[in-house]
Amino acid sequence: MTVAEVVFYLLALLSVIAAVGVVTVPNVVHAALFLILSLLGVAGFYILLSSEFLALVQVLIYGGAVATIILFGLMLTGGRDLPAVGPGAQWPLALLVSGALVVLLLTAVLNTTWPRDAGEMTLISINTLGSVLFREWLLPFELASLVLLVALIGAVVISSQEERES
Amino acid sequence: MISLEHVLVVGALLFSIGLFIALSRRNAVGVLMGIELMLNSVNLNLIGFARFVEAPRPIDGQVFAVFVITVAAAEAAVALALAVAVYRLRQTIDVDRLNLLKW
Amino acid sequence: MLDDLDRIGPVLVMAGVAALIIIWDFIPRPLPAARGKPLLFVALLGPAAAAAWTVSLLLRDAHIGCGPLDPLALSNAPLCPGGGGTLVEGVFSFANSVVLDDLTIFFFFLFAGIGAAIILASNDYAKRFGDYEAEFYALILFATSAMLLLSASRDLILIFVALEMTGITQYILAALQKDRRSTEAGIKYLLLGATASAVILYGMAFLFGLTGTTRLVAPGDELSIASVINERGGDLGAGLIMSLVFLIGGLSFKMSVVPFQMWAPDVYEGAPAPVAAFLSVASKAAAFAVVLRIFFEGLSGETVRGDWADIFAIVAAVSMTVGNVFALVQSNIKRLLGYSSIAQAGNFMVGLAAVSAAEGGLSLGASGVLFFIAAYAFTNLGAFIVVIAISARIGSDQIADYAGLARRAPLLAAALAFALISLTGIPPTAGFIAKLYIFNAAVESNLIWLVVVAVLNSVVSAFYYLKVAGIMFMGESANQESIATSAALKLVLGVAVIGILFVGIVPSPLLDAARDAASVFSQ
Repeated sequence: MTVAEVVFYLLALLSVIAAVGVVTVPNVVHAALFLILSLLGVAGFYILLSSEFLALVQVLIYGGAVATIILFGLMLTGGRDLPAVGPGAQWPLALLVSGALVVLLLTAVLNTTWPRDAGEMTLISINTLGSVLFREWLLPFELASLVLLVALIGAVVISSQEERES
Repeated sequence: MISLEHVLVVGALLFSIGLFIALSRRNAVGVLMGIELMLNSVNLNLIGFARFVEAPRPIDGQVFAVFVITVAAAEAAVALALAVAVYRLRQTIDVDRLNLLKW
Repeated sequence: MLDDLDRIGPVLVMAGVAALIIIWDFIPRPLPAARGKPLLFVALLGPAAAAAWTVSLLLRDAHIGCGPLDPLALSNAPLCPGGGGTLVEGVFSFANSVVLDDLTIFFFFLFAGIGAAIILASNDYAKRFGDYEAEFYALILFATSAMLLLSASRDLILIFVALEMTGITQYILAALQKDRRSTEAGIKYLLLGATASAVILYGMAFLFGLTGTTRLVAPGDELSIASVINERGGDLGAGLIMSLVFLIGGLSFKMSVVPFQMWAPDVYEGAPAPVAAFLSVASKAAAFAVVLRIFFEGLSGETVRGDWADIFAIVAAVSMTVGNVFALVQSNIKRLLGYSSIAQAGNFMVGLAAVSAAEGGLSLGASGVLFFIAAYAFTNLGAFIVVIAISARIGSDQIADYAGLARRAPLLAAALAFALISLTGIPPTAGFIAKLYIFNAAVESNLIWLVVVAVLNSVVSAFYYLKVAGIMFMGESANQESIATSAALKLVLGVAVIGILFVGIVPSPLLDAARDAASVFSQ
């Protein structure tokens, strides 16, 4: 086994076990912490797959912004004070669906001949990514900024307190 | 040597676990966590494809992942606002108890 | 670059007006009451400018058509010698990720029309949004602009971002009324919608992995999903089937068909009435535009065509049946229209399944879908505008409260009854012609069983549609007070009713437009 393989299996173990942790721990705040762990594991994969920029973005956005949003969400909605609740009533059905899905996905993944190169590194520098993003992908890039604008307006409108009708 | 299949298998596992979380968690923020996990497994697949698949423009996989992350963050922000608004009116975000509108 | 921007001009002006409204709302005005009127006119600028720009694109790019078509021909006659667009050549822009062709033009006009109709119809209702009236109009326009772009997108990344833009905007719109029902609708819509997005993305990622590109179709020799599938469709195997299933599964949420249909009645019931109208017409049309682009262009190769057409046929049959059976027992009009929209989407899908006909390939079924979408837009808008008017005045959506409506508001009652007749598919309405045309396409493709299921379903649907009409005309109401409506609402309701009748009696102009638009698939 090469070093890369060892690291890969460790990361796989980390992110999958942490993901299982998200669903098994009763306390939602602990679940959120497990989620962050799992997402950082995914960032590790990105480095292993030579996408350093994505790894950086992953840590910043998921490890920072999204994690904060989720923890804030739990705090503002009394998640800490909630009694530890188990999964909802439909969990056996959910388990059945997800179990069937994982079998299907693994069958599909392993029975497909993926077009591939000889395993040469496809190294992509941040420079290339940046210039491609601003040239060829300009339109979705600008559209994404509109998505953020809409989300901003929406978040303000929906979460603001009504004061006029008191 | 790590191969594409290795990455895709991890992606498939994370996606299925994410779906299970989204379907079984009762807390709306918990459901959101499951969705984030699903989106991450998609990104992992995309990066795997960008790294291994023979394509004229493998970089598109990374570009796709950048957009997925951006949009997911926007969605999470709106989800938080909605959860707060629902909690303010109902004192709960337990999806099983949000039943004014029957499923 | 300027040419590229010109071709998506309608998208830009629509989004521009939306941004303008947000800024406009910052300007302090002495009387809050004086806000409504100018706001309505500013908002209307969006669809009007988008439509005008589309006309100008059409005038500049049009080349000579193929002469008048036989007006009532429902046959599969070739449109132009050699096929191809009859109005505009497909023009690519933004590195081939966007195309301006007949299909794009068709949807540009459709979405501009729907946007204008929703804005006018919301005139009465918008006061309920209080301080957020401007945001309501702005969000409707932002969503519409993303839908315009969706109909022109030929790239998975662009489709994803635009789809999410419409999605996020609509989650916010559903919750905009900020009461208990509205916010519940919003959060349910968001959680289910985000799950569906993840499923779509998984399918898209697989498609990218199999083909190495995100372009659906590209001119010349450039690599695209369509070209790769044509080249080696057979040996893409399980991965390709998996990505088809994921794409259909996830997009079924946006189309509100089985298996992701359950959100529709809940969200329609909880969301403000104009938003429910927008979701049921615009959002559904956008979803079908995406499906046409992805499946009829990107995945149209002979080797995969049969696979997805079979899935669409089954989904169509199940959706119609589920929608109609549940609609039978509803007591809330918005919920009833929610289930009805599931059944109607099943009808659209008959056209998606009708592709196996050898001659004409994909264009007959596709033209059926487009014609049905436009006819349904008139019909469902007509029905929803009445619901909006009544909801704004009496504050109730219960069907029981519609009793005796024929006396309280004879015009509204007559318009709603007429729209329901069209939804059932009885002549002389647009709904009748649409069903006839799409069933014909299915027969041509040897989908007799599907047509039988669809006709039986139409009979079932007559029960609940006509029951509502019966309650309005036969029922007695204690309250005899008449219901007033604004001029804007009357105007748009009149347009919808005339549209239903006109398309029902003289279908050829719309039929020609749908066939021209669908001719992009015959190349």
